[in-house]
Amino acid sequence: MSGLGYQEKWTLRYAVVGLLFLALAGIEGILMRLQLVQPGILDNLERVISVIRPGSPEKTAAEQFYGMLTAHPIVGIYGFVYLSLMGVFYFLVPFLLKKDIRFKKLVPFNFFLQVFSVLLCWSAGFFTYFNSLYTLYWPLPVSFDRVPALGATIFSIGLVLIELNILIFAFNLFATVLSRPNPSRGYSYGRFLLEAFGIGKLIRFIRKDKSKPDPNYEELPVFIVAIGRGSVDTVINAIILLLAGIMVLIFSIPFLVTGLKLNTSIIDPLVYKNVFWWGLDMVADGNVLMYTAGTWYLLIPLLLNRKLYGESIVRTVILADLLVSMFVWSHHLLADQSQPVFLRVFSGQFVTWGEFITMGLTIFAVLMTVWQARPVKFTPPLKFVMGSIFGFVLGGAAGLIQANYGLNVILHNTQWVIGTHAHTLLLAGLTTLIFAVIYALVPILTKVDLPNSRMVNFHLWSWMAGSLGMSYVMGFAGIEGMLRRTLYYNGEYSVYMIIALISACLMAVSFLVFLINLIQKLRFINILRLFKPEISRNMNKPLYEAES
Amino acid sequence: MEKKELKWFIILIAIALVFNIITLTPLIPWQSWLLWNRPSPDKSFFITFENNEIILPEAELEIETGEYIEFAAVSKDVTYGLGIFRDNGTMVFQMQVLPARENKFIWKFEEPGYYTIRSTEYSGPKHSDMVIENAILVSEN
Repeated sequence: MSGLGYQEKWTLRYAVVGLLFLALAGIEGILMRLQLVQPGILDNLERVISVIRPGSPEKTAAEQFYGMLTAHPIVGIYGFVYLSLMGVFYFLVPFLLKKDIRFKKLVPFNFFLQVFSVLLCWSAGFFTYFNSLYTLYWPLPVSFDRVPALGATIFSIGLVLIELNILIFAFNLFATVLSRPNPSRGYSYGRFLLEAFGIGKLIRFIRKDKSKPDPNYEELPVFIVAIGRGSVDTVINAIILLLAGIMVLIFSIPFLVTGLKLNTSIIDPLVYKNVFWWGLDMVADGNVLMYTAGTWYLLIPLLLNRKLYGESIVRTVILADLLVSMFVWSHHLLADQSQPVFLRVFSGQFVTWGEFITMGLTIFAVLMTVWQARPVKFTPPLKFVMGSIFGFVLGGAAGLIQANYGLNVILHNTQWVIGTHAHTLLLAGLTTLIFAVIYALVPILTKVDLPNSRMVNFHLWSWMAGSLGMSYVMGFAGIEGMLRRTLYYNGEYSVYMIIALISACLMAVSFLVFLINLIQKLRFINILRLFKPEISRNMNKPLYEAES
Repeated sequence: MEKKELKWFIILIAIALVFNIITLTPLIPWQSWLLWNRPSPDKSFFITFENNEIILPEAELEIETGEYIEFAAVSKDVTYGLGIFRDNGTMVFQMQVLPARENKFIWKFEEPGYYTIRSTEYSGPKHSDMVIENAILVSEN
């Protein structure tokens, strides 16, 4: 593992800290699950922790629970998922394009700012019990009779910094993709993008033009197209959440400093909800799906040494999914009777099925590539890729059931939504894919092999069983009427929660086995050395030439 | 598009059409009055949400099976949810209750018995306390 290049080292740093955030999110999940089994079970732990909370009086079980519930998705999504993706993309994008990151100094900047701002959001929940949940439904985050103003301020500063950091990251990514060392005269970015999405081919087909495409514009790998397309959603999402954070600050800072309560009714809660979900869905239904699809498009051909099946169609599907993700947000507002019926049925239900078509075609292309490559050797990353496809199919199907004008009446805000849909997608789908990327990239980055072993197989099967077990048991509890975002005091659903807790513990064991395997192979001291500050001789060396 | 892709594309479209058509029809019973018929309510109940409390117009809301009941909810502060639950804990229906908005929902109860009202949207740490057990009595018509 010696002689790592600048970018390899940073990618590994992003991955290591990302995995630490996954562990933190997992611990929070288990603690919340414990509270749902038996409220008050954390009281003793709370008393011990109170020692390091300056001036914090003892809080109720509900305040502990909802504070943790507010921090949990921030740690999981922005700490684990985003940090991991940033690290991976900062390596793969220049590696595949055979050019350097456009602004190299932003790589460590993004790393430190992301870690700092996620911890800031987390600290708002941990130290001040800020509890308005990540949705920030107006005017709850500025209702200071029920949420702490200091917590609202700290959380919102953290959120604003996270979103600014993501915008900087996306800018660097776009700048890297679009930068050309010697652009010829008349080189058009518009045409470049048209070809990237396969539109040029479509236009030529319609015009019956049989001329060959200009190779100047036919150079983007489909992985880069998907990442670029997903990053459009990332930017929109970041701008909307940035505005939400600023809005809370506009109300919380005057209250904190002078006790002044600004009039919250100037913002309509329904308009807020529409804008918030329009922006947030760019992540949930846009960039997560596109980044995932892009990673499948990269890994499957790479692992099977075979061209992606139906690549030209895939490029157009990637663009079509942009339109879908722009108009899909209303499925979060199916239970809002003041939302126009047309929007609920059209955007909430029909457009959501557009994702079924785009992801259906994506999965078909990926599985056909595997099918045509038979006999296939299932290496560790390939096994995890297959697991992630399975997770996305199950989680996506659950999403389609709840995004339905009729069925949402009995599913909205239940554990079905957060369990069977969201946690299946995030744990069995997305996290399994991130494990696949780690199994694929670690040997490339470090020259240390991670072969098939009992530990890898245990990691795969126990992770899939644990994540699906937990998510589906939550879903069954949802069908029985258990709400999400709700602490139950009388153990109403404790049988379900005990099974979910056992499944969560299985995931924890699985994750530990994965870490032990990684540490055994890479050696703990080498992982620690990754964080030794360096004046890198390799910094100015092109990544694709850097020696490992 | 290759033949195999086209076949798969058609299969996907067919699944989407079948699922959407089925779930928009009265095969899901409440679609008949939520989406298609839009009947006038036989009775209306006005429910207020304020300061983490659910305020009912009467101590017990009395309903008969087969009646179209309108639940009109207002919030005086933050967003809540109005959820009606059966005795065994399963949900009958729910809607969001947004402040400064008209939140109305029509339902027809088919089974007699007691029903519980619970807030289904998080509204602060006291959210879990927002439950009124046996708030609705549905009797046989």
